Amino acid sequence: MAYQLIGKNFTPPDVAAKVTGKAKYAEDFRAEGMVFCRLLLSTMPRARVRNIDVSEAMKMKGVVGILTADDVPEQNAPNNPILTNNPHYVGDPILAVAALDEQTAQDAIDKIAIDYEPLPFTLDPLESLYPGGTNAREDGNIRNRRSGSETIKWTAGDFVEKDVCPTGKPATEWSYGEVDQGFENAKLIVDESFVTANNPHHSMEPRSCMALWQNGKCFVYGATQSQSRPTRDLARLLDMDSEDLVYIAEYCGGGFGSKGTAYPVMAIPPLMSKKVGRPVMMRISRAEEYFIGSARHGFQGRIRIGFLGNGRISALDMYIIQENGAYRGGGDWTAAGDAVSLVYTPQAMRFRGIPVYTNTPIRGAQRGPGQNQIACVVEPLLDKAAEELGLDQLAVRRINAPDNDSKYGRRQGPVTSVYMREALDKGDEAFDWAGKKQKSRQKSGSKVIGVGIGQAYHAAGSNGYDGLVRLTPEGKLHIHSGVGNLGTFSHTATSRVAAEVLTCKWENCVIERGDSRRHLPWNHAQWGSNTSFTMTRTNYVAAMDAKNKLLEITAKDLGGSPDDYDLSDERVVHKTDKSKSLGFADAAKRAIELGGKYDGHEAPEDIHDMTKASVAGLAGTGLIGVAKDNLKREGVVPAMAVGFIEIELDLETGKYEILDYVGVAECGTVLHPQGLETQIKGGAVMGFGLAALERYVYDPQNGLPANMGLYQCKPPSYLDVPSEMKTEVVDIADPQNPVGAKGIGEPVQGCAAAALLCAISDALDGHYFNRMPVTTDHIVNAAAGREQSYKVLQVNTV
Amino acid sequence: MNTNLSREVVFSDDAAMGRAGMSRRDFIKGIIATGASISAMGYVFGGCAGDMGSAPGAVERLISLNVNGRVRRVDVLPQETLAMTLRYKLGLTGTKLGCDRGECGACTVLVDDVAMYSCSTLTHRVRGRSVVTVEGLEGEDGALHPVQRAFIEELGPQCGFCTPGQVMSAVALLEINPNPTREEARIAMSGNLCRCGAYDNYLNSVMRAAKEAS
Amino acid sequence: MLRDMMANFELYQPTAIDHALNLMNRYGDDGWVLAGGQDSFDWFKDRAKKPRAVIDINGIDDLHGIRETADGIEIGALTTLTEIETSALIKEKYGVLADAARHVASPQIRNAGTIGGNVCQDTRCWYYRYGLDCYRAGGNTCYADTPEGIDREHCLFGADRCIAVSPSDTAPALVALDARMVVVNGDGEKEVQAEDFFIGPDVDIMRMTILQPGDLLKSIVIPNTWAGARFYFEKVAERNTWDFALVNIAAAMKVDNNAISDIRIACGGVACVPLRLTVVEEVVKGSPPNGASADLAASAATRGATPLNYNGFKIPLMESLVKRAIRES
Ligand SMILES: Cc1cc2nc3c(=O)[nH]c(=O)nc-3n(C[C@H](O)[C@H](O)[C@H](O)COP(=O)(O)OP(=O)(O)OC[C@H]3O[C@@H](n4cnc5c(N)ncnc54)[C@H](O)[C@@H]3O)c2cc1C
Ligand code: SF4
Ligand code: FES
Ligand code: FES
Repeated sequence: MAYQLIGKNFTPPDVAAKVTGKAKYAEDFRAEGMVFCRLLLSTMPRARVRNIDVSEAMKMKGVVGILTADDVPEQNAPNNPILTNNPHYVGDPILAVAALDEQTAQDAIDKIAIDYEPLPFTLDPLESLYPGGTNAREDGNIRNRRSGSETIKWTAGDFVEKDVCPTGKPATEWSYGEVDQGFENAKLIVDESFVTANNPHHSMEPRSCMALWQNGKCFVYGATQSQSRPTRDLARLLDMDSEDLVYIAEYCGGGFGSKGTAYPVMAIPPLMSKKVGRPVMMRISRAEEYFIGSARHGFQGRIRIGFLGNGRISALDMYIIQENGAYRGGGDWTAAGDAVSLVYTPQAMRFRGIPVYTNTPIRGAQRGPGQNQIACVVEPLLDKAAEELGLDQLAVRRINAPDNDSKYGRRQGPVTSVYMREALDKGDEAFDWAGKKQKSRQKSGSKVIGVGIGQAYHAAGSNGYDGLVRLTPEGKLHIHSGVGNLGTFSHTATSRVAAEVLTCKWENCVIERGDSRRHLPWNHAQWGSNTSFTMTRTNYVAAMDAKNKLLEITAKDLGGSPDDYDLSDERVVHKTDKSKSLGFADAAKRAIELGGKYDGHEAPEDIHDMTKASVAGLAGTGLIGVAKDNLKREGVVPAMAVGFIEIELDLETGKYEILDYVGVAECGTVLHPQGLETQIKGGAVMGFGLAALERYVYDPQNGLPANMGLYQCKPPSYLDVPSEMKTEVVDIADPQNPVGAKGIGEPVQGCAAAALLCAISDALDGHYFNRMPVTTDHIVNAAAGREQSYKVLQVNTV
Repeated sequence: MNTNLSREVVFSDDAAMGRAGMSRRDFIKGIIATGASISAMGYVFGGCAGDMGSAPGAVERLISLNVNGRVRRVDVLPQETLAMTLRYKLGLTGTKLGCDRGECGACTVLVDDVAMYSCSTLTHRVRGRSVVTVEGLEGEDGALHPVQRAFIEELGPQCGFCTPGQVMSAVALLEINPNPTREEARIAMSGNLCRCGAYDNYLNSVMRAAKEAS
Repeated sequence: MLRDMMANFELYQPTAIDHALNLMNRYGDDGWVLAGGQDSFDWFKDRAKKPRAVIDINGIDDLHGIRETADGIEIGALTTLTEIETSALIKEKYGVLADAARHVASPQIRNAGTIGGNVCQDTRCWYYRYGLDCYRAGGNTCYADTPEGIDREHCLFGADRCIAVSPSDTAPALVALDARMVVVNGDGEKEVQAEDFFIGPDVDIMRMTILQPGDLLKSIVIPNTWAGARFYFEKVAERNTWDFALVNIAAAMKVDNNAISDIRIACGGVACVPLRLTVVEEVVKGSPPNGASADLAASAATRGATPLNYNGFKIPLMESLVKRAIRES
């Protein structure tokens, strides 16, 4: 289909503010009389607070208020608390102090004496599962599938096999096909235990937050990657009506899943502000961001894969022990199982898993949660199998690649569209796989070439949210977006669908977003790579609603039926008699005159209350297009990505250089080529960090974190990634999206991470590390033929 | 396992001198009394005078700062970093704080044309020197700096939080090396972390800015 | 626990060495010399060190700049790492130092950080930096040297209650160049060999250098002896920006008739001091700078190394770097 706007580059309306410094992030807001608040964090990995002595602190001039766990709404266990008297990890927030200036707040915190009763703690899920092992929480050691806690202990017998991940009673289990039969048919079975590390999100913007109350309304300037969703969720946290909450999140300095919606500490500034009667700024430091800013779940696990002689996977059996942190955490473990079922389409598969609490910081979804870790586990194993079977790495991926008929997950449900082979083909050609493979393992001095391919997946689309557009008497199209601003520019890319449907010139469009006072619809959070799919649908249905109203109004005024008219260049034009036409500006005026549904005085029944309130707020200001996305969606919406990589690894130093990287996206119709390219490359950068740099490290003796700051957590710098990367796209429309779009943000990280691990292994003659990240010391040991210093299943270590 | 950490009493109190004892109003009054001009949004960080700085030879708190070509009198604490002065006293919030520890570059500004981490520079160190922040790059007519234009054209930023710092490093580079190779640009920019991983596009931006200026 | 918020201090900005020394004398242990501040601010923000007075020496002109002298060069303590990295003189004659400076931290840190601060910086042992009351902080235990201590970055040599390592990239280069450190205090001026300037826990567990309160590092003198020699510097760190060396190496070598006539070689990240590898020097002197000599040197280098829980990889890594230094200088 020939589009005017879709698939074309544009200058996002928010980019100029980013390069001039005018973009306002949460910490950039000020208010008259603003005070500062700081957090007191637990110094113990697990304890009960017996007493808090604030007397010295309260005597200090300038201290205006203290908030403890007793002053804030309690959250249901095991949800993350706002503040707690039962800290479950070093860094768990216990109280907050507000003072006229920030230094006084910190000085006051230094004077507060906390009497802790230390409690036993654990940093290793396997230790907690061992009979008699420590539970990280009072209510159990595992999170069950109903999001409660319970205690599961395995038998000592489960642990007898040395250096093999034990697989005792799981929290969940599913399978499809004849798994045993599949393994019997296999020509080769690989069977490995593995560990993937936890790693903090460390978005560049720490989650600072400012809040104030005015005339019964609460104003919150927050750091979230979404808009409408956190408005609702923060109101819930504060136990207030979302209509009384003004939420501003026009810019967000990165979230990667950790700022998807409101999070508990965000409630502190509004609560403190209420208490002290002044605006409150809570600046979050980098170390605090480490503690409360969430992290990816680490896994311990075991995987067995059976391969037929041609490389086809006949059976796959996977067990994942998810390190859950001390609180609720996310669903990485189950997502990993679902991902494997689709990406490798095993003929039969069993998945088992269990999420186990440890006394470490809160976890949550991080870019490709579950899918990206498991890609890093499985992809190098495909190479290992390919080598043993005498097959090409690419051939093994092709033969197992999913297509439109593939099934997904525990229920083996359908997919909307998958073009994995096409993605592999694109990469093959752009990278020259055959040519590059010739160079694999070639040595020059101490250096050796390694090549690799990685694949990853994420479910990238949702439905059921609302769209809202408005044509004004000035002839402008206002597209109201409640999705958020994670930095992908997709708030605008998806809004262009409305302009496309309504034949509007882009210069005449205004995106309304970033502030709940701008009358925003109920939209999904900007997470899970869903925006492209979900928001093109909402904007499409809203625009279609506006279109229908335009046709109706014109038919009323100029005669005939609405079907006799169509839209063209911001006018409603009669299909055969071009002299009959009405401009959008005039149509908007007519809509206001007509009232009712045309100008928002009436709204559809099925839209969300938040959207209804926004429509009511806009009533009488123009022609309103508003609708809930009731379009068909059957099946999961897969975003697929493939990475091809060539590295040169120095066997003497363990260092490598990435010589070439090609990232391929399979995300349906391309909405915004430049934006897509930045996602593919940026995802790759983050993937290289995931594969080879970033990890939690804890001292098991005292529960202290070794890697808090950026210099210890090591997100990749300019000099750790290639200065130029190549991108490719499949660009085949998804049938269940009106413009064919699917999301992409997440798998572009996982494929790069997996590809890099494959290339490192390739350079080391196929050595499989059983572990991610693979860091310099691991490579040095492997290259020197030394034993690794970590134990096979050891977690939170080097 | 034991937690043999007695962390509560590590710090002696003798340095707890001159705690904040001023309200914001006192502070503003003080400024007015001395005839100082600061931007309307001034915030106090701590320690009123007390015995601080009273020793002979200690720095004067009221100093002149040249920021973006404008000289202003500002009351600056001894321990105040340039990032805090810019953001909380001069209202220049374009300079971001990503780590406050020299580990990310979001706070990069130019001091006498050299890229510096403003989070790791005492404000008292830039007395008598020229400070340029991202707000100071636009021309008098509001035209964007060529580096800023290139950043837009190449879609450099993603979330944008590291962007002002990236822009400043690029400007610093092009001042001393107007025609860098891509590798030179990569090294010059390497003190600016981008968690979104926009490095490739940022380098495209720097190369474009260099090309367009030449 | 990190606090990210400096406490109050008095700030002095003397413009003459005498003035600085007076202040340093007056405050003794409560005073802190501030050069580029790139190490100091972390300590202040964590409130793990809370000096009463901070003496910012940047206004002292005499401490800046690189000077050619009759028998070499003299580098003022306040010379920034960027100035060293880009100095034509240093690049031409003492390339190993320019190379080492170029590998420090990040461009902005090199713009602010000084050579004096770089050699005086404190160790990066994470327990110590966390603010724990370990030996080095004046307590009576070591958290790292324990059965499950997280000690990947710690030492192979010279453990004595403390197992922390020297973090500096320029220190090994200065040892390789046989530099002398010029120290002034109220009593006058003295010169100390770089090798003796750095001290291990056996000498003083709470300090990394011989500097006592009241001592100011004035300059670093590099003799002509090694000007224009063959040099080698390499740093292996996980990231190529901001990261401290897992192991680094610096070597200066003279070759006559294809035989190594003289050599100095030092290694960082393996001991509390930049470790001069005198055994390696002896082993290779007189031999050709080839692979065979390199192999011999490598095994000599790590003799006596005592790996800890997680730092065994430093043995092959150190051996590799020694080999490369001999092979590729
Ligand atoms: C994120 C990060 C990464 C880093 N990476 C590296 C790295 O890769 N390699 C590396 O070598 N370093 C690294 N560093 C350390 C930094 O480069 C050095 O700390 C810097 O060179 C110190 O110089 P400075 O002038 O800023 O020191 P300051 O902080 O001013 O001083 C450091 C110490 O030296 C003392 N001191 C300074 N000058 C004198 C003097 N003339 N006489 C007496 N005492 C003095 C001070 O009192 C203080 O104790 C890193 C630092 C950070 C924050
Ligand atoms: S190694 Fe040294 S610095 Fe680290 S904890 Fe032990 S005594 Fe302290
Ligand atoms: S905020 Fe200054 S370097 Fe990160
Ligand atoms: S654009 Fe988000 S951190 Fe750089």
